[in-house]
Amino acid sequence: MLCRNLPAELAFVDFDRVEGKNLLSQAYVKQSVGRNKALALALQLRNFHGVKAQAFSVRLAETNAEEICRSADLLVDCFDNIASRQLLSAWARDKGKPLVHAGLSADGSFGIVRWDERFSPDAEDEEGQATCEGGEHLPFIGALAATVARTIQDWLETGEQRDSFVTLKTVTVT
Amino acid sequence: MAILNITLHGASADYPAQVPFDIDEADLKRLAVEVVRAGEVPGLYDARVTASAFENYVVDRISTNDGGQRLYLRPKVPFGV
Repeated sequence: MLCRNLPAELAFVDFDRVEGKNLLSQAYVKQSVGRNKALALALQLRNFHGVKAQAFSVRLAETNAEEICRSADLLVDCFDNIASRQLLSAWARDKGKPLVHAGLSADGSFGIVRWDERFSPDAEDEEGQATCEGGEHLPFIGALAATVARTIQDWLETGEQRDSFVTLKTVTVT
Repeated sequence: MAILNITLHGASADYPAQVPFDIDEADLKRLAVEVVRAGEVPGLYDARVTASAFENYVVDRISTNDGGQRLYLRPKVPFGV
């Protein structure tokens, strides 16, 4: 949502549906509960901000990565699983597409924004590990999302690929 | 040699002394516990940090554009934004 003013056409990819609990920590609104997440974001952008965005309501896979990603000038990974991150990395490296990743720790106290050349995806400590879905983590998640948006904005303006750490105390360019 | 950055309790800081870039991960985690306990990392002092505090952490070994080398000892970040 924080990329809505960029001189770019946005596209979202997500197979999942908005659940009530997502309202506590993600950008969705009550009217979006039950909708596909990619479609919900595109609708919210159009209805609230007059911004057009494309939505792919599918799970990214080897069989559709080319179709979904080929027209992109920049890929942004906000996945919550290592398999999807690896798939997107492999596709981007094979095609020479720039890719920036964002990741959040389980306790909602640390996040990174890192370009693909220096990124290795982390696995969960255990499958199905609890994530920070409670509303108390929203300000920190917002700070991380803002760092992603600013990173993209700067890349669009200057081409610089800047990595950052986001902690509870500060945002540090690494 | 490399600069070591440690993240703990929602803060992140550089250890002032350099460490070998190829240091073993277990040795690096032991070193981190010692220097945090000793207050040798600005802003990260914790005399009671446990020996297992960094057990589930990962180590990034990154060569920077200016020819430097950095080690990052940080929590895993498996989740999306």
